[in-house]
Amino acid sequence: MFSYNFKYELKQLLRSRWIQLLSIVLLLLFGFSTFNGIQKVEKRKKDITTAQEEVKENDAMMLKLLDSVERGLEVSASPWTIPTSPMAVGNYHPRVAAMEPQSMAFMATGQADLFTHYVKPTVSGDDFALNFTEMTSPVQLLFGSFDLAFVIVYLLPLLIIAFSYNVLSSEKESGSLRLLAAQPIGIQNWVLQKLGLRFFWLAVLVLIALTVVFLVHGINPFAQAAVYFGLLGIVLTYMLFWFALAFLINLWVGSSAKNAVALLGLWVVFVLLVPSVLNQMGNTLYPMPSRTLMINEMRSLKAEVTARQDEILDNYLRDHPEYALNDTTQTRSFWHRYMASQSLIKKELSPVVDAYEEQLQKQQDWVGRFKWISPAIIAQESLNQMAGTSTQDYESFRKQVIGFAASWREHFMPFLYNNQSFSQQDYPNLPKFVYTNTKTSVQNRVLLILGLSVLVYLIGILMYKRQTKNNLLAT
Amino acid sequence: MIITNNLTKKYGEQIALDHLNLNVKEGEIYCLLGANGAGKTTTINLLLGFITPTSGSAFINQLDVQENPKATKRFLAYIPENLMLYPNLTAVENLDYFSGIAGKTLSRSDLKIVLEEAGLQSEAFENRISTFSKGMRQKVGIAIALAKEAKVLLLDEPTSGLDPKASNEFGVVLQKLREKGVATLMATHDLFRAKEVATQIGIMKDGQLKQQFAGHDITLPELEKAYLSTMDYKELVS
Amino acid sequence: MISKTFVKETKELLREGRVRIAVVIVLLLTGVAVWISARHYQNVNEQYEVAKTTERAVWDNQGEKNPHSAAHYGTYAFKPKYPLSLVDQGVDKFAGTSIFLEAHNRNEAQFSAAADQTALARFGDLTPDFILLFIIPLLIILLGYNSFTKEREMGTLTLLKSQGISNWKWLLGKWMALFLPVLVITTVLFLVAGLLLGNLSDFGVFSWSSLLMMYLVYLGYYIIFINIVLLISSKMKKSGISLVVSLCIWIIACLAAPKAASNIAENKHPYPTRQEFAANVLKDKKQGLDGHNPWSKETKLLEEEVLREYGVDSLHQLPFNFDGYRMQKSEEHEAEVYVKHYNYLKDQYAQQAKVYRGLAAISPYLPTRFLSMAIANTDYATHWDFADAAEEYRVATQKFLNDNFAVNSEYGNWSYQADADFWKGLPVFEYDPPELKTTLESNASNLMVMGGWLLGSFGLLLFTTKNF
Repeated sequence: MFSYNFKYELKQLLRSRWIQLLSIVLLLLFGFSTFNGIQKVEKRKKDITTAQEEVKENDAMMLKLLDSVERGLEVSASPWTIPTSPMAVGNYHPRVAAMEPQSMAFMATGQADLFTHYVKPTVSGDDFALNFTEMTSPVQLLFGSFDLAFVIVYLLPLLIIAFSYNVLSSEKESGSLRLLAAQPIGIQNWVLQKLGLRFFWLAVLVLIALTVVFLVHGINPFAQAAVYFGLLGIVLTYMLFWFALAFLINLWVGSSAKNAVALLGLWVVFVLLVPSVLNQMGNTLYPMPSRTLMINEMRSLKAEVTARQDEILDNYLRDHPEYALNDTTQTRSFWHRYMASQSLIKKELSPVVDAYEEQLQKQQDWVGRFKWISPAIIAQESLNQMAGTSTQDYESFRKQVIGFAASWREHFMPFLYNNQSFSQQDYPNLPKFVYTNTKTSVQNRVLLILGLSVLVYLIGILMYKRQTKNNLLAT
Repeated sequence: MIITNNLTKKYGEQIALDHLNLNVKEGEIYCLLGANGAGKTTTINLLLGFITPTSGSAFINQLDVQENPKATKRFLAYIPENLMLYPNLTAVENLDYFSGIAGKTLSRSDLKIVLEEAGLQSEAFENRISTFSKGMRQKVGIAIALAKEAKVLLLDEPTSGLDPKASNEFGVVLQKLREKGVATLMATHDLFRAKEVATQIGIMKDGQLKQQFAGHDITLPELEKAYLSTMDYKELVS
Repeated sequence: MISKTFVKETKELLREGRVRIAVVIVLLLTGVAVWISARHYQNVNEQYEVAKTTERAVWDNQGEKNPHSAAHYGTYAFKPKYPLSLVDQGVDKFAGTSIFLEAHNRNEAQFSAAADQTALARFGDLTPDFILLFIIPLLIILLGYNSFTKEREMGTLTLLKSQGISNWKWLLGKWMALFLPVLVITTVLFLVAGLLLGNLSDFGVFSWSSLLMMYLVYLGYYIIFINIVLLISSKMKKSGISLVVSLCIWIIACLAAPKAASNIAENKHPYPTRQEFAANVLKDKKQGLDGHNPWSKETKLLEEEVLREYGVDSLHQLPFNFDGYRMQKSEEHEAEVYVKHYNYLKDQYAQQAKVYRGLAAISPYLPTRFLSMAIANTDYATHWDFADAAEEYRVATQKFLNDNFAVNSEYGNWSYQADADFWKGLPVFEYDPPELKTTLESNASNLMVMGGWLLGSFGLLLFTTKNF
């Protein structure tokens, strides 16, 4: 039976122009979404390069200024911006802490439109006040991006539904099912082969379309083989899941219209409802502490700390005797008091700030525990992670930046408390930020979706066995 | 070839088929007559194993249909009332597909021979089914039965909607099959065609077989009279 | 004949299981969505009230302090949530809720809810607007896709024609039968929302007229969808194809077009990055007066000008503290710089809005979405309005502080401290969202696009079914 199904299914798909239509639609969708993704990545890269170049120029000016000062020349800059002051360097010549896009970042916008890709932490200011959100119109955030992940997670299942909702019911409605059932074959086996073949051809089309689109856009998919095959694994298993659902519905429900409605209902459930309900439950169970109330708390603390600045400085110096010893002048200015207070504020506020991270982590764990309810979530998450645009990536970037901000600040502390000037020789020793990617592997996720597909398939078989064939074949 | 033993089917309280006993031998054409709901299609569905009997059993070629659903289907061919094939495939391709999944592989020339035998004009062999009339589709259905070398043929209202010429051609093909030893069970409303082709005629009502005749024993007016009286249309008969 | 068709279609719908199940599911989802939103709303508003009063207390109890130190210490403006956000959350999740108001700097609203959530938040929320914008159109498709095709398939079409039915009356009957369930669901939903909002005590500026307007907008949206679905059903030969085509329209209108629009808009009219924006502002600020730099060229110019104006030859002879005066002048310059740069952002967004309006030609979802958010005061324009009001308040606050500094101390006296009671004199920040009339005026183009869709779809429907 298989060879005949294989031969004639292809013939029918070609003659009903399904294959041609699907090829065009897939090429258009993949092409447009990849184009969008690449545009975004290009902008991201350009922004970072511009920022880095600006820093380079500024550094050149700083060195020139330092050179002038060191040679005892008159300089025209405002006195507090002259880079002999370590605080001036720390505040007015920050480094770019950038998150370079990963090789396949164009696949999924993920959280890339929400969060910024580079910040310039200075020695003054608060870490938690560093704004990691990007300046984007909220309308754009609301609508989201037409990226490859959207095509795969949202649209591909709809194509599959359109392609497979009536495999059995159309035969029933046209009457050829009775003729088929009079042959010595099992109907359930026959439906499985039909859907399997359609899965096969769609998979082939998706593979070709993806590869063609990548090559046209100048991306060599085999250069990032691991990510590329990860992508294929996710796409194929995700497709398999929807075909398994189509199998279940084809065997279970009756007319074409009912099948279409049932499959569409499932699409709404898996792609729209489950994610939003999970998200809302996560928010309810692990609510974020109010940011507005955090502001109140921080303000009161600051007010209190400002009142005790001198005392705090004394305590700070007691904790850091090396500064008191090495400096002969013992001059104490605004900056000395300020930095000491800041480090105290940071310490005292850290439980408040940590609370956010903890809650976010708990929400993340919650999603992790229940994501298997919807393969759409798994697929979206995997694509985000492969693209390096998931929440975890930005969280990791944020932590790395805060770590860098601390080392940047620490770097200047000896200068400040020893009342030592910043000089040209100190320039090469300035800390630099290097972003390290979070490593991800999608193997487990691929297996998870595969497992779900098999589960749906088994349910389909069970359902079919349990129901009498009457409603399927009786006229 | 086709045997039913007290075959009964109930839908709740409603009796669709009541202790039917039939025996159609090789080379026989048995026509089942009866109004809509008399139990003709139920009989065919039971013989095909599409539904399960409440009691009794059905045999095709000495095999119980319920116990051997796939094996029995190897011996039988079935042409539903409104035979729809794959509109995008040609006659040859449809035949190849259906005989193929039934496990019979035929060469292209053999397929054409079979179609010719079924009475389809050769110009139509390579045309898509979507351009076919009902009579032409019926012929492809016959060809499927021929290709399968079926011993049993089950027909459900095969002549409804056919023009007299097509109906006549269909009768001729049935006779040919009978000569080959095929056992045919045909459910129909068409008294005229039944009288023409049948070796046995049964009249059903309310799931019961009310009367049986040998095909050659009875004239068409007699058959009509018997049919109407079975249906309680006594005033019409007199 | 209209009523006959209407009654027959309604009966058919009522007797079909899929319709009953679908309506029940939609109502159930709506119930859950309203419940979640109401809870969320109350939560946020409670926090808002606490934050607002606490922050004001922090400001009032600063004690004796130099006014300019207080200016640096700053205060916060918090964005309230409006009653109709219960129906449409709009962009609230993505826009910040608090703005830090300090000397010299205009800050962006920070702490958007989306930034504090997992990536799941990007899938969307189960809120009433989700049901109104996505699910009910889907319901319309489900109810109406076979309105005409079933007559073809069952063969009743020829029978009806032989009865001499008038096409447009027949159409109108079917149209009404499809409209009725949608009307019922929408009316119930809005009535419940209205009663809920009317009964909650601290709901502020809820007005029935806004709710009514929103109701009308959604009815218009549904009428457009009904017209499209019936049009497709009348043109297609098979129910299956009609269903698939209608769904394609839904996908394009509700999912693909908004996303594509957002990509095109960003591509053509990008925003600067946060860092770029800050750098540009800084550059322009440096071009002018810096209040903290008494040695700059601009300061010298200002000095000369003031001395000339008052006819004195030293800053000490001025009747006010020149430091405070200079601070204020510099503040004014900086405010101007911000106005310029924020206007650039607004221009970029205005250009983006044009892209959205352009794509509204293929998506009735877009004008509806924008109108609904605007009426609910959860759109981007309201966010701008709030941010501008906060900026105005910030500038006024700086003047209040600098004037005190300038009037009550002499030049060079940075140790001056204002009274502990002085801070209470600063007016409280109050913000009222735009009135319905203003909102509708500024959204005239969206209203026109919707009107165009309504007329166009009706016209096309009547025109094509004339010779059905």
